[in-house]
Amino acid sequence: MKKTIPLLIVILGGLIWVAWAFSPHYILQEVFYNQFYLPWAYASSPFAMLLGVLSLTMMHSNKIKTRGPKWQYSYFFFGSFIITCLAGFIGGIQKGSLFMWMFENVQMPMSATMFSLLAFYMASAAYKAFRARSPEATVLLVAAIVVMLAQVPLGVQISKHLPSISQWILDVPNLASKRGIMLGVGLGSVATSLKILLGIERSYLGGGD
Amino acid sequence: MNIFERMQKLDRRWIYIVVALAIIIPLMIPYDSDNVTTPPTENLYQMIDSFAGREDRAILMSFYHDAATMPELFPMEVAILRHCFERNVKVFTLTWFPAGAPIIDYAINSVKEEFPDIQSGVDYCNFGYKPQAFAMVLGMGDNIANTMNTDAEGRKLENLPIMKGINNYSEMNLAIEFSGSSAGGMWITYARPKYGLNVAVGVTAVMAADMYPYLQSGQLIGMLSGLKGAAEYEKLVDIFAAYRDPKIDYSIKVDEDGNQILPGRPFGREILEDDSSKKLSLITTQTKAKFSMDEFAAFSAKYPENMALLNSLRSLEDDMVIIDVTQITPEQRSQMGETMYRELDRLTRNTLYKFKVARIGMNAQSVAHIMIIVFIVLGNIGYFIQKARQAKN
Repeated sequence: MKKTIPLLIVILGGLIWVAWAFSPHYILQEVFYNQFYLPWAYASSPFAMLLGVLSLTMMHSNKIKTRGPKWQYSYFFFGSFIITCLAGFIGGIQKGSLFMWMFENVQMPMSATMFSLLAFYMASAAYKAFRARSPEATVLLVAAIVVMLAQVPLGVQISKHLPSISQWILDVPNLASKRGIMLGVGLGSVATSLKILLGIERSYLGGGD
Repeated sequence: MNIFERMQKLDRRWIYIVVALAIIIPLMIPYDSDNVTTPPTENLYQMIDSFAGREDRAILMSFYHDAATMPELFPMEVAILRHCFERNVKVFTLTWFPAGAPIIDYAINSVKEEFPDIQSGVDYCNFGYKPQAFAMVLGMGDNIANTMNTDAEGRKLENLPIMKGINNYSEMNLAIEFSGSSAGGMWITYARPKYGLNVAVGVTAVMAADMYPYLQSGQLIGMLSGLKGAAEYEKLVDIFAAYRDPKIDYSIKVDEDGNQILPGRPFGREILEDDSSKKLSLITTQTKAKFSMDEFAAFSAKYPENMALLNSLRSLEDDMVIIDVTQITPEQRSQMGETMYRELDRLTRNTLYKFKVARIGMNAQSVAHIMIIVFIVLGNIGYFIQKARQAKN
């Protein structure tokens, strides 16, 4: 029973969604989707958010209690969480508020800094590891240099043909490989979905069978 | 240890210093450079521009990202909002991501500062953060007001003037998803086949390659890829949407069928390729409004009461009439009125920092790309020479 009922729920739910996707019938489109599913979906969203906040709070509380690795940083989580919430709830989130000030002057620069570190790692990796060790690696290296040059104004000044060559690389070899990957992923997804719908794939129920 | 071995074992901190300088110096000292526009950017521009001044057309901008990807995505959002506000295109904004809500406010506020006539609920509407993306994407295909109910300020959508003539995807016929992932695929899978919605994406450069199959198949009508896409769009807005011919009256008119017509410069490749267009998208500071004799006569005819003032401000250079806006005193500014001053200021073709940030960034990216290529070449030279010596030994 512990496995049969969840299995039946998954199979029934999956079949309803398949029917909804392929049939324009009133009961499926209006009664099921608009009158039943949508209100439930809207109502459940705040609870998902609440669950996230509770889970994060519990994790950090436990870390502080048990003096887990880098437990001191959990105080920063509580501090920033409480300050941001208070700023938003009390002062609002409109232009000029404390919340927006913190967003523009704290969160934005910090997040952007983390993302921009990528440039440094890329440059270092390019110098240390990007070697023409084989014919395939050489093709990759040449393609990378052409595309990188064509992306920037300086490259276009070097040769006006660079953008067309770069576009060809993106449109032909890049697309061929991307399509192959996407087709593979698509077929794999369909096969896995069918296996779940038919009850063949049950690993999500736990137990390993 | 010989020089080639040293090159191979170079401390990475030296590389970091060189990259930091390569990025910081061009950011601090902007120079004019030309960003060649690509068809995916041009197609998106033209699609948005075709909605100019129309009550029964709107675009939807979905901000599906947080602050981390803002350096690449924010300039494109600002450029598109500027285009819409310049050309009177109705804009709706939303995010499926709670952290995206302040980004929408920040983008709208940044652009709105330069457009005092633009009003929330009339020219644009922010839905704010909305959960359940899948349900929303499908629901808007039937009815936008019923699906979204209220905007971010809690106002009932059906009561807002912007909703006049806008019911579903038949009118809000273009959705642009900004993200650092392949999230635009949701619109392609669900909204495009079922409702015929036009879909475009603005993605970080690393994600662009993933979106090319959709672009080539026509499922995406356009794409802005990374900072380059943003720079291209900024340039198009400068050359076409923000362009004002001193001889033309740009107020909204109504045709015989009652449709609003907004005069503007139509998109044309020949204009982009013309050398004179390069002067419209400069990123260095411009302070002089330049007119031919005919243009100056047409411009001053629009302000007959300020003819004497205009004549006192003008000077002649190479058969061109020049007015330097930095020479206008506060008294003269109040005498000519804010409308005329803004028009003069616009004719200097000076672009505010927030509207050229991607192009300034592209200068830094130019140097950084060249730097990385030099690193790759040097690294390979060192590698092969060292390998040859080892083989010889």
